[in-house]
Amino acid sequence: MRLLRALGLILLFAAGFGAPAHADEGELRTIIAKFATSKNFRETEAVVRELAATGDPAVGRPLGALADGNLSFRKSDGQVFIVSEAGGALTLLDPLSGGRSGEAASREVTKVRVNNSLRRAVREAIGALTLNSPDAGVRLSAAETMFRSPDPEAIDALDAAIAVEAVANVKSRMEEARAAAVLASDLGDSEKLAALKTIERRGDRTALSLLAAVKGRADGVLKGAAARSAANVRETLSAWDAAQNVWFGISLGSVLLLAAIGLAITFGVMGVINMAHGEMVMLGAYTTFVVQNVIRASYPGLFDWSLAIALPLAFLVAGGVGLIIERGVIRFLYGRPLETLLATWGVSLILQQAVRTIFGPTNREVGNPSWMSGAFEIGQMSITWNRLWIVVFAFTVFAVLLYVFKFTAWGLHMRAVTQNRRMAASMGIRTPWVDALTFALGSGIAGIAGVALSQIDNVSPNLGQGYIIDSFMVVVFGGVGNLWGTFVGAMTLGVVNKFLEPYAGAVLGKIIVLVLIILFIQKRPRGLFALKGRSVEA
Amino acid sequence: MRGNTSLVVRLASAGLVAAGLLASPALAQEDTIKVGILHSLSGTMAISETTLKDTMLFLIEEQNKKGGLLGKKLEAVVVDPASDWPLFAEKARELISVNKVDAVFGCWTSVSRKSVLPVFEELNSLLFYPVQYEGEESQRNVFYTGAAPNQQAIPAVDYLMNEEGVERWVLAGTDYVYPQTTNKILEAYLKAKGVAAEDIMVNYTPFGHSDWQTIVTDIKNFGSAGKKTAVVSTINGDANVPFYKELANQGIKAEDIPVVAFSVGEEELAGLDTEPLVGHLAAWNYFQSVDTSENEEFIAAWKSYIGDDKRVTNDPMEAHYIGFNMWVKAVEKAGTTEADAVIDAIVGVSVPNLSGGYSAMMPNHHITKPVLIGEIQADGQFETVWETPGLVVGDEWSDYLPDSKDLIADWRAPLSCGNFNVATGKCGGKGIN
Amino acid sequence: MITQRLFVAGLTPRIQIVIALLVGAAVLVPVLNLAFPPSSPFHVPNYMVALVGKYLCYALLALALDLVWGYCGILSLGHGAFFALGGYAMGMYLMRQIGARGVYGNPDLPDFMVFLNWKELPWYWHGFDQFWFAAIMIMAVPGLLAFVFGWFAFRSRVTGVYLSIITQAMTYALLLAFFRNDMGFGGNNGLTDFKDILGFPVQASATRSALFAASALALAAGIALVAAIAGSKLGKLMVAVRDAESRTRFIGWRPENVKLFAFTVSAVMAGIAGALYVPQVGIINPGEFAPANSIEVVVWTAIGGRGTIVGPILGALLVNAGKSWFTGALPELWLFALGGLFVAVTLFLPKGIVGTYDQWRAVRRERRLAKADLPSGPAEAGDVRIVRASSATSPVPQGGPEPQPAE
Repeated sequence: MRLLRALGLILLFAAGFGAPAHADEGELRTIIAKFATSKNFRETEAVVRELAATGDPAVGRPLGALADGNLSFRKSDGQVFIVSEAGGALTLLDPLSGGRSGEAASREVTKVRVNNSLRRAVREAIGALTLNSPDAGVRLSAAETMFRSPDPEAIDALDAAIAVEAVANVKSRMEEARAAAVLASDLGDSEKLAALKTIERRGDRTALSLLAAVKGRADGVLKGAAARSAANVRETLSAWDAAQNVWFGISLGSVLLLAAIGLAITFGVMGVINMAHGEMVMLGAYTTFVVQNVIRASYPGLFDWSLAIALPLAFLVAGGVGLIIERGVIRFLYGRPLETLLATWGVSLILQQAVRTIFGPTNREVGNPSWMSGAFEIGQMSITWNRLWIVVFAFTVFAVLLYVFKFTAWGLHMRAVTQNRRMAASMGIRTPWVDALTFALGSGIAGIAGVALSQIDNVSPNLGQGYIIDSFMVVVFGGVGNLWGTFVGAMTLGVVNKFLEPYAGAVLGKIIVLVLIILFIQKRPRGLFALKGRSVEA
Repeated sequence: MRGNTSLVVRLASAGLVAAGLLASPALAQEDTIKVGILHSLSGTMAISETTLKDTMLFLIEEQNKKGGLLGKKLEAVVVDPASDWPLFAEKARELISVNKVDAVFGCWTSVSRKSVLPVFEELNSLLFYPVQYEGEESQRNVFYTGAAPNQQAIPAVDYLMNEEGVERWVLAGTDYVYPQTTNKILEAYLKAKGVAAEDIMVNYTPFGHSDWQTIVTDIKNFGSAGKKTAVVSTINGDANVPFYKELANQGIKAEDIPVVAFSVGEEELAGLDTEPLVGHLAAWNYFQSVDTSENEEFIAAWKSYIGDDKRVTNDPMEAHYIGFNMWVKAVEKAGTTEADAVIDAIVGVSVPNLSGGYSAMMPNHHITKPVLIGEIQADGQFETVWETPGLVVGDEWSDYLPDSKDLIADWRAPLSCGNFNVATGKCGGKGIN
Repeated sequence: MITQRLFVAGLTPRIQIVIALLVGAAVLVPVLNLAFPPSSPFHVPNYMVALVGKYLCYALLALALDLVWGYCGILSLGHGAFFALGGYAMGMYLMRQIGARGVYGNPDLPDFMVFLNWKELPWYWHGFDQFWFAAIMIMAVPGLLAFVFGWFAFRSRVTGVYLSIITQAMTYALLLAFFRNDMGFGGNNGLTDFKDILGFPVQASATRSALFAASALALAAGIALVAAIAGSKLGKLMVAVRDAESRTRFIGWRPENVKLFAFTVSAVMAGIAGALYVPQVGIINPGEFAPANSIEVVVWTAIGGRGTIVGPILGALLVNAGKSWFTGALPELWLFALGGLFVAVTLFLPKGIVGTYDQWRAVRRERRLAKADLPSGPAEAGDVRIVRASSATSPVPQGGPEPQPAE
């Protein structure tokens, strides 16, 4: 966003676009020079206001640089520059023209310090100046800023901008900003009533608080109208809140599904309780870390592809480790499922410590590619891209697994072994190989789950531990040996959890879900989708 | 049955062998001064504590380069309490009574400290505790080199109130004692400053909470009420990364709703892309970016010791640096490592801290520190935007909790009391007994 | 299996010896600790008393688990919960004993309640200032929880892995609940800073020795109890339920009642273990509810040999001694050692140490008998055959559809 804004500013001034006023350049330079002498944030802020008061769009460049922390002054003569760093040395740029005016070592210049309130002051100062920017995004944020800090004097400027605005949503934001300004002004009631309608149409929480403020200070017909509008907004918002909760639930459910589905496969086909499953997830996440590290060091251009590259690698790494565990340990323990629990517990300790030894105990940074950053809005609901992609990814993995199980020979073998191992063996299925490959598949899926989880969670040796219990709950709730069970289980637990959270709080919500699972198992001792069989135990 | 008997005999002898192994370190040579390091190297807390173990080894090595202490070399004894709180007590006992260490540097969580307290009291040894904590404690054998709430939380809130004009507060924390107490203190403090109850939202989450969608949305909604809003975060270590990731993705910018954290330092940021988090705040007593020559030296030496140019330094490391130097100075002053002598000698000892001043050990076993407020930068470091004009004395008994405001601690003779009640003039809380 | 046959008689010589050893230790260790000065070679240091006392509590917990898992086939992954509940009941008693000696000097409220602004003692804390009440609660709370939980679960015929996982859910839910400060159990910090037990200071050597003796005696009593149960008709029934639950049911028994009995008794034993553990380590906190802790108990039992009485005790002592030693001697690598131990034991000693030892001895005896070419007594020969059969079991699972029920 910051980059975007800076870019927009540069474009704006390079084009010399729509400048309402031009101050004398010498005067601007005198003001800018004051940055070097300001002793604290308040003084700096005063300089910002002074610059903004000139109304000259040329001040956008130094102000933008200030907000981004790139404005510095030379210690020797107190001259202010925009600095850009390249390979240790700093390049000094003229604050107004942006032209090169020399180089300096980092010791020779002092940064003009900024904090949040300064950045906010700069944003507000630039707001009105960028209403005519050629970049729609810049205009949008300008309108948004003006909405949040309504100023009756800006109505004319907004009217002019609305008249020439072509992009629909920017235009409506500007109209909202104008409406907010109207409500803050001393215009007549009819104007204000129309403005109320505009605000009501916006319908989010900021609009609601604005309406509440109007209700508080207005009287007569305006007060009633504001109250009605506020009530309407509140009503729509509560509907959106419910939708938002469902979405949160689905997104939590997808995370659970990813973590649990590999476990469900090994559990279902082999009856193996794999306590090291969480560590497979962790291995996947660390694979992503290694891939990103290599990309950062050698092929920075590929960064957006890092997850796509990490996916097959994570599958192979975790699947390979799974295969080794199966061949090395688990195959000697068939028929003793609870002993596999102990052995895999040991394996999980070893894997955790191994990762701790190799990568260190601290969190590792796994970046979000640009397509997984940020959020977009549907109505009053904000959906983050990373959650959306994880949901899509989880559903895709599920669909692919379903396909493998239903329509491939290997899937057929796996299902046969799940239903009746000895019969399957009698029919010529090589059950040991099915076991080995199933375990590798389950581990591999855990590995790719790790790639997804690296986007939202810590990448640390403890990563897997956080998911293992939840995964068990999902598998048991859904019923062993049925992919649909796991799917429905994960989604149900996700949504129930998210609906409980606002009322009960995160901790109590989780406790309630656990108690519900315990009670549910009493009712259906084999989970939601129990495998039908003739065994008396079933 | 003879077979059974022989099994039992074998068991007994195995037990004896094990006991012998446990006791054997005590027989090592006696010409060194032993320093115990009690930090988790495995389990959930390894993520934070391993660095402190390395810091201690580094400090001990540096001291030995300078010629050791009292003419002897220092020897580090490292154990792993494995993030298991009763094991902390067991390991503390082992360090003191089996390994015969003269001082222990360790613990991170409050519960681990609480777990070892009785052991240090019983065996009369020294513990240096390097992490910010909730206060409400002062013990004769413990030296608190991290921040008390008045050295971190209250200045941070003051800063937000005065510099950023914040009027609405979200107190978000992990549900355990440190956030609960800190938030209790902050709530009382804010109310004393005239903040209305409906302008304070308190939220607790479990340890390692990873799904922050609902809470971040709640914060966003709470912050859209037209008043300037800030989040005061006492969220614990592991849960921070997903929290900040969610904040960044939901587009909460520091200019709109700043988050000030008390448990997020350079180490935690190392696991994050900080570009979208620029401007969010943290309150500490030290930042790696502090521009002093002591700090520069320390960072350079640390990096060359650990052999990794990317390793960062953080506040608890500085606390160990201060604590260790204080102990060294006190031992030199007392001329012995004997606990009682060191406890008497250490009060008033003052050593340089890394932020350009001197930290002194106060009679309440807390130290004086500057308070720094820093904003997160894109390179994962903090930039100090505000600092207290002088040093702040750690206040073990908060003035904002009704039951503790009359208490003080002073471990100098003749008072020598950790909970002296100034109202009743007696040692022992309310002084009822 | 042979081990059960051996125990049918109740107190076998092996168990008698172990009980005698424990009683001996209960007398001898305090004497060696208190009567000899620290310089004497016969002196048992305080450190060892506390450490071994702790192990004995773990051993009692492992024994409790063995009763349900080894004899009744219920793999509980939540036994740590009963242990912790017993510990909390004891911790509450100890907290109340602090009285006005807390840092705030408040005679009615524990410290953690004072600084979190609690105004009065929650109702469930009342009564814990009396030892008899706490003692009842130590047994009643875990027992009642196990009874209610088991009542529902066994009646609904929740078995095998499902049962294991919901016991895990139970302890996890309790973990989260006890973490909450609003519950009034001290949150994450738990209960700590104890002063007195029954009027004696908990940190005094004499008290420690007494607690050690109490732990040893409790373990001895636990062994006697489990041996008695295993040797009784009920014990046979438990084994029957473990090996073939449906068959037992079809014959006309009520397996759920048998299981419920074992589960409840075991929970009470675990509660007592927890209660003895707390004053010795000086802290009880929600960490004890962690599912990983319960899994560790299973590991001790498996390593020692489940379905034997000595096995779990041996396992608990060995693993914990190993942990104590490794965490000090190899702080960076001990998890490799511990993890490797678990894998190795499950692979190479599937019956645990004691089980494998018994098996090996039986095989040797059979060889000796065969070599001597003597006609063996029918009962003994029968035993031998069973052992050989079970040791030669093919790795192919014998159950019907997967998953395998918890064996």
